[in-house]
Amino acid sequence: MLVYTIKRLLALIPTLLAASILVFLFIHLIPGDPASILLGDTATPEDVAALTREMGLDQPIWKQYLLWLSNVLQGDLGTSVFFREPVLSVIGDGAETSILLATMTMFWIVLFGIPIGILSATKHGTWVDQMTSGGAMLFASVPTFWLGLYLILIFSVGLGWFPSSGFPSVSDDGGLANLRYLILPSLTLAAPNAALIIRLVRASMLDVSREDHVRTARAKGLHPAKVAIKHVFRNALIAVAAAFGFTFAALVSEAVVTETVFSLPGIGRLVVQSILRRDYPVIQGVILVIVVLYMIINLLVDLAYARLDPRVSLK
Amino acid sequence: MKYLRTFLAMFKGRKLATIGLIWFCIVAVAAIAAPLLAPFDPLEIDPVARLSEPGTPYLFGTDHFGRDSFSRAIYGARMAVIIGLGSVIVALVTGGLIGMISAYFTRLGHVLMRGVDVLMAFPALLLALVLMTLLERSVTNTIIVIGIVYATTTARILFGMTLKLKGEVFVDAAICSGAGHGSILFRHILPNLISPLLVQASFIFAFAQLQAAALDFLGLGLPPEVPSWGNMLSEERIYVTRAPWLLIFPGALIILSVFSMNLVGDAMRDSIDPRFKDDIAGV
Repeated sequence: MLVYTIKRLLALIPTLLAASILVFLFIHLIPGDPASILLGDTATPEDVAALTREMGLDQPIWKQYLLWLSNVLQGDLGTSVFFREPVLSVIGDGAETSILLATMTMFWIVLFGIPIGILSATKHGTWVDQMTSGGAMLFASVPTFWLGLYLILIFSVGLGWFPSSGFPSVSDDGGLANLRYLILPSLTLAAPNAALIIRLVRASMLDVSREDHVRTARAKGLHPAKVAIKHVFRNALIAVAAAFGFTFAALVSEAVVTETVFSLPGIGRLVVQSILRRDYPVIQGVILVIVVLYMIINLLVDLAYARLDPRVSLK
Repeated sequence: MKYLRTFLAMFKGRKLATIGLIWFCIVAVAAIAAPLLAPFDPLEIDPVARLSEPGTPYLFGTDHFGRDSFSRAIYGARMAVIIGLGSVIVALVTGGLIGMISAYFTRLGHVLMRGVDVLMAFPALLLALVLMTLLERSVTNTIIVIGIVYATTTARILFGMTLKLKGEVFVDAAICSGAGHGSILFRHILPNLISPLLVQASFIFAFAQLQAAALDFLGLGLPPEVPSWGNMLSEERIYVTRAPWLLIFPGALIILSVFSMNLVGDAMRDSIDPRFKDDIAGV
């Protein structure tokens, strides 16, 4: 297991470096001079000249990359053109919303996805299965923003149960009650992902239920529910755990849309607004942070997978 | 004819998937015959009739410019098919070539597949957003961007399948009979990959619709004047309380189309060569 962990960590380094090169090149791919892009439209020629020197833009590109990388490793992701603040603190401001939103979404996904998936698999072939797996596929086909808009229309505008937009921090007035602002967004975000988990739990449980050990468990007269949970579901969980890396990527993508629909002050909306404001340092910084986070999560998922299924690390 | 019959046989006994296929055909017909079917010009503005309710003569009502939603929805079908097919072609051609070549020439493959891994480190919509920042909003660029996003998954899948096929006896036989690399890859291996490619195509078609709609919604997809279902939703969303029907029709069209293509993909996947069952999991 230790050898496997080290191997996986080492394998991460080249991918991480390559991704960082791509993110670095992003600024250079935009038509125009990087220094004036980074400073925005209001910059004076003197500012541009100063930043050109500071960033070493007159140096060969590989030297620029090394300089940028060493800054990044020291936590300096540049300065936002729009906020005139370090990019890292701009990202930090959005972190609370995004992390809470992701946590609540994961809660719904587990709460709905896993039991419905188990139900669908145990009632395989019946109308219950057809309804649940058909319904899951339908939910996976709904554009997130459309679902979000209608949830707002029904539950905020119509019934007035939940606020329709924004999110005051939980440290502000209202405290944890402010989490009600995140109920509709997290349900919106959870719907397509819970649908995927339902399909996945169902498919992997059906796979496992054809294995010999399950037949043995049934043959020795165990209660069907016990077989389903202890013998089938536990093994099927391995495949589900492996999918959580993929779920994270889907969450990030859909959070961009959901945070925009509900005007949440999170990182996803920050990306969209930075793109529209041409605040390139922030775009670059957010992408870098997300990519690194995604790789770490994938690594953790792989390690968890190897831990759950020892055959993996022996391969 | 033979291929068509095999294709249709996949849908035998699958009512939902058949309905999905029929819906896809309807969308395709609407796309091709849009100018004949649409009762109005999708760009024609009728200020007097703005935000009219569904009825006659405006079947789906009109938007805030007074444009006929039904005509826009029909032209939107055309955009949906163009974006879907375009992304499928870009994704399958580039991703397919990278995957097959990587599996066949192992050394080059190491480098190419690492490149794919790096691109896969970017969540799909984020990658699309970043690429769209670098490019102008246009139909072609939207297709290219969505195509690139799904080329990575296609490359991964085809890499695994080509590796499996490479070990089969018929490939050895082809090598022994003196076939060149190109002939082995495209005349011996590729025909075996057609059905998994079709499955992949249907999933990419479905997901491309959702991605394109999301890009339109964020204001980073098709140019705003193009009548697409995503743009219809994006433009009319501020009128949702006054004219909720404006969002129901395009939304329902997107959902139906994505749902149908997913059903079609599922049906095809279930009848596919068992060797590849594990490789295709849906995008």
